[in-house]
Amino acid sequence: MNRMRASKDMWLWISGAALVIGLALATAGNRFAAFIIGIVFLNVLWTAGMNLLYGYTGLVSMMTAGVAGIGAYGTVKLFLDYGWSFWFAVPVSAVGAAAVGVILGLPALRLRGFYFVLSSLVIQVALTLVFIYFPQFTNGDTGITQIPRPGLWLPGFGAVDLTGPGFEIILGLLALAGVAVVYMIIRSRMGAFIIAIREDDLLAEELGIDVTRYKVMVFFISSLLMAVGGAFYAVYTGFISPRSFDVLMSMNIWLMVAFGGRGTIAGPIIGSAILVPIPFLLQELYQIKDIFYGSLIILVTVAMPAGVYGTILKWWRVRRQKQNTAVAPVAIKRMPAE
Amino acid sequence: MNEILLDARQVEKQFGGIRALASVDVQQAVGETLGMIGPNGSGKTTFVNVVSGHLSIDAGSISFAGAPISGRRPHAITRAGLTRTYQAVRVFSKLTVADNLRTTALAAGREEGVKDSHVRELIHWLELDRRLDAIAGMLTLFEQRRLELAMRLALRPKLVMLDEPVGGLSAVEITHMMKLLGELKTRYSLFVIEHTMRVIRELADRVVVLVSGQKIADGRPEEILRDERVVRNYLGSQGA
Repeated sequence: MNRMRASKDMWLWISGAALVIGLALATAGNRFAAFIIGIVFLNVLWTAGMNLLYGYTGLVSMMTAGVAGIGAYGTVKLFLDYGWSFWFAVPVSAVGAAAVGVILGLPALRLRGFYFVLSSLVIQVALTLVFIYFPQFTNGDTGITQIPRPGLWLPGFGAVDLTGPGFEIILGLLALAGVAVVYMIIRSRMGAFIIAIREDDLLAEELGIDVTRYKVMVFFISSLLMAVGGAFYAVYTGFISPRSFDVLMSMNIWLMVAFGGRGTIAGPIIGSAILVPIPFLLQELYQIKDIFYGSLIILVTVAMPAGVYGTILKWWRVRRQKQNTAVAPVAIKRMPAE
Repeated sequence: MNEILLDARQVEKQFGGIRALASVDVQQAVGETLGMIGPNGSGKTTFVNVVSGHLSIDAGSISFAGAPISGRRPHAITRAGLTRTYQAVRVFSKLTVADNLRTTALAAGREEGVKDSHVRELIHWLELDRRLDAIAGMLTLFEQRRLELAMRLALRPKLVMLDEPVGGLSAVEITHMMKLLGELKTRYSLFVIEHTMRVIRELADRVVVLVSGQKIADGRPEEILRDERVVRNYLGSQGA
């Protein structure tokens, strides 16, 4: 059974990889479409991190953009000012950003519900202010422009050009890796524990689950995905500023997860794929762009509170449930030996 | 008396101006079923909450299986072998019965989840076999009580603290639950809070009575249910 699932999973990831490579190559001739695809991939990575935090653990964090910002600024600083290789700067910055995120978020992790949201919002605002008021590191409000794309040398391929679809392919594979990380966590023992924490953290603790430890672990992994996304965003767009990583970005990532279906693997991918292109595609209709975007979100959240994919999944589960509702007879049997 | 399992000494707990527990001493031996009775607001659930680590104590000490547990977090106390149920049944109501049990089994270090032999036996004993795919919140109260019990027993505890285990059940269901608890008593040390005197009479080896946070009596059920102070403060005509 496990081998069957592993084989099914392997084919799923191979198909996913083929899809992202296909999408990147199919849009290669149209840089506008390719750029939208690239941004969708980045958002899939970010929403994977948010989904782990919000969808599976029940923590609505509003400081995710700030953590992505630390990853972005850290990488750019090491890459441009210190001459590090981009590919080495990314993991170092991402681990640093995740560690900073955990340290800043640690007091908030002891809080629940609304109070956690509020604390993370305050941290996000503070991080944005740091990005603005420490220009020696961030170039302040002006931001950092003309960030070059990194070079890549692959054995057997030599130097790979990352100015064309090559970079979109990397972003796509990165997004797929992020989703795979969340998928593997959810299928593991840790996944069962964080879902238990989302459902009832007091009961989870009562069953012997170290709730604080698992919250910190989830926060770290989620921050890592955010920070890696931030670093790649910087070199992909070539420009970062405090506005790139403000509270609106945190809210947008949260919205995509809620819109697509929190606590599902496919939901955030669907949310990103639908919501990210809208502002780009409606650029010429700027008068109604935001109205359309807002109306769509309201419509989906009212008609489908579990999100697009979440609602489909719920409908399917209820249908299966109805076929299995026979009430078991109550007859006392012998108690099992301990 | 057998080896002491739970040893609470001079336990104090105050909520603002209200003294919920006033210098309460409770000892329970291994294999013993201890009942705790008292009027609403007498501190029974507060006692369970301080023992299980959900509330801190203001003074006194609590030891379990020979080791101090006051100040330890609930998950650590559970891992030490002490588990509890709640007045209002507590299961993961949006998850299926199977997922509730799988999570508990994993928390207890049983990687096979619901396929673990002990968990399967519990499922069978508590008649949950045909409800594994049901959402826990959709079960009847009695089924939820059985699921709650299965989850706690899957942890292989040394002591099970039951807070009103027959609360809200019908007369027929109470009879069934009594049979289950009767079997449970032969294998586990139980601590039972109940208002239904029939449960205490039939189940408890010893009874502690709390009134306004103070222990006013401690003894065998037949003695306690005749004790004049207990009758006056709590039982009224019920104990007769």
